[in-house]
Amino acid sequence: MRLPPGVRDWLPQEFAFKQSVEDRIAVVFDRWSYARILTPTFESYESLERGLGEKLMRQTFRFSDPLGEELALRTEMTTPIARVVSTRLRTASLPIRLSYIAPAYRYEEPQLGRMREFTQAGAELIGAAGADADAEALFMAIETLDAVGLADAQFDINDSAIVDGALVALGLSAPASRAWKEAIAARNLVDLDGFASRDGVRPERYALLRRLVVTRGTEDVLAMARELAPNPEAQAAIYRLERIFARAATLGFEKRIAIDPALLRDLEYYTGFVFEGFLGDLGFSLCGGGRYDGLLPRFGYDVPAVGWMVGVERILLALERRRVDERRSREVDVFVVGSDRAAMSERARGRRVRVDVRGLDRSAAIAYARHKAIPRVLIARGDDVEEILLEADEQSP
Amino acid sequence: MSSLKIALPKGSLYDESAALLEAIGIEIPGDPGRRLTMTSVDGSAELLLLRPTDVPAYVEFGAADCGIVGKDTLWESERSVSEAVDLRFGACRLVVAARRSDGYHEGARYPTFLRVATKFKRMATQYFSERDIPCEIIALHGSVELAPIVGLADVIVDLVATGSTLREHDMVVVDEIAASSARFVLNPVAYRSKYARLAALCERLQRRVAP
Repeated sequence: MRLPPGVRDWLPQEFAFKQSVEDRIAVVFDRWSYARILTPTFESYESLERGLGEKLMRQTFRFSDPLGEELALRTEMTTPIARVVSTRLRTASLPIRLSYIAPAYRYEEPQLGRMREFTQAGAELIGAAGADADAEALFMAIETLDAVGLADAQFDINDSAIVDGALVALGLSAPASRAWKEAIAARNLVDLDGFASRDGVRPERYALLRRLVVTRGTEDVLAMARELAPNPEAQAAIYRLERIFARAATLGFEKRIAIDPALLRDLEYYTGFVFEGFLGDLGFSLCGGGRYDGLLPRFGYDVPAVGWMVGVERILLALERRRVDERRSREVDVFVVGSDRAAMSERARGRRVRVDVRGLDRSAAIAYARHKAIPRVLIARGDDVEEILLEADEQSP
Repeated sequence: MSSLKIALPKGSLYDESAALLEAIGIEIPGDPGRRLTMTSVDGSAELLLLRPTDVPAYVEFGAADCGIVGKDTLWESERSVSEAVDLRFGACRLVVAARRSDGYHEGARYPTFLRVATKFKRMATQYFSERDIPCEIIALHGSVELAPIVGLADVIVDLVATGSTLREHDMVVVDEIAASSARFVLNPVAYRSKYARLAALCERLQRRVAP
């Protein structure tokens, strides 16, 4: 029996590894007071469609129920959460903080770091605009990667208003602007150079924009941006990025954050602030997010929102590459032969108990425990229970 | 500091790629022979010697931070890499070509259902569907110009550098689809995580090849 492409089994050791990472993420979410939420794995396509850009729409698993209603597997969690907030939580006081760790589904070519079923962990701060809410999303993401053991992750931040402002200042039409933005998002400078001569942009003005697009930095980027994007929206965005930087500095995060003006992420989804977290030794980003003020209004609830997510499997991949073995070195604490009461009382004390079901005698039970690296054996002897301690497990810390 | 991993295409683009790297100060220790990797003389760069069509995948997954590859290879791969510099060598054109005797280049009409032989399935499909020309694409791997001669296809979509291959087989260009040349490509995340080195490398290359 073979599995379809893009899905996988999680055997006990692999699952324990995944679970330990999810547990650490859940602790961070809890400490930031983001309540966990879960929505159905599938729901009506019509509802999920509101959050989908063109690309995600093509990647959606769609099917229909026997009555012909069109259903779809969620491709991410933000859209279902937007639906919940705009309906069932509509009367709740704002802002609302929600988090999730849940599988999502996308039809794409399975490859390294990209599966058709994958686990996303993320957080949404709904009903708050402004730099302080943006900063909360970013700082939470940094703390989350720290908590799973990736404290060297770097974070690039940006606000799409800067590139928008710079393109307006070049006097480009909306459709031309769109092509420019796509080339900038892909950092495709060959295309961008071509557009500049096609659209007749003055070479000295284009050279300044080009320099902005290839630069990643902090103050230097903001200084360029101030000059190239003089419109009020861009200036406000620059002010917000400065504010985020100032707050990051108080936490000692400033060295881990840079501004990349070409970081635009999903153009159809994000409306301003965006960020991405990555490692030097992994060719794809680990986490990302940003402001999506346009989504809740599509559900008839006109409130701003910012959120972020991390790919759990990508974290596992990064940790595996560093040979960080998070798997439990000991799976069982005690092996119990012939005494249900002893087993129950051990479980009540929080120990992992394995109960003999094969009627092993004393020496076979000890041999089994040694083989499985179980440090304690309890064997019933009449009304008594004999306790045998085996030498310390060499693998345990 | 970890070394920069640069994917280089073996084959027709290799010599000019190596010469360009030398010209901007990345000294290559000699002929690669059958080696899979080489380290630059100063140890700052590791060169991965790849089949040209594999370069985009290595760069997309970050197994290489950057690389050199023909635009014609990028057309057919769905890999997302940043095209940072047009290196201008390895120039060629993707064209629709046919037997001179068929007269398509002089305005003769295509058959109602055109058979197209090509190594460039994606580009050919896009070209004919944009023009609403019903066609069947026959994907081949080499010697595409044989297909019209033996009646396998009406036209071909193929790369032309000097045009001598077409002339040899009494074929002519019917239309030009696109132009290709070698590109310096980047992994978008590597550009961020190794920004200082990769940005400097792009700038040196850009200056070197500027027209």
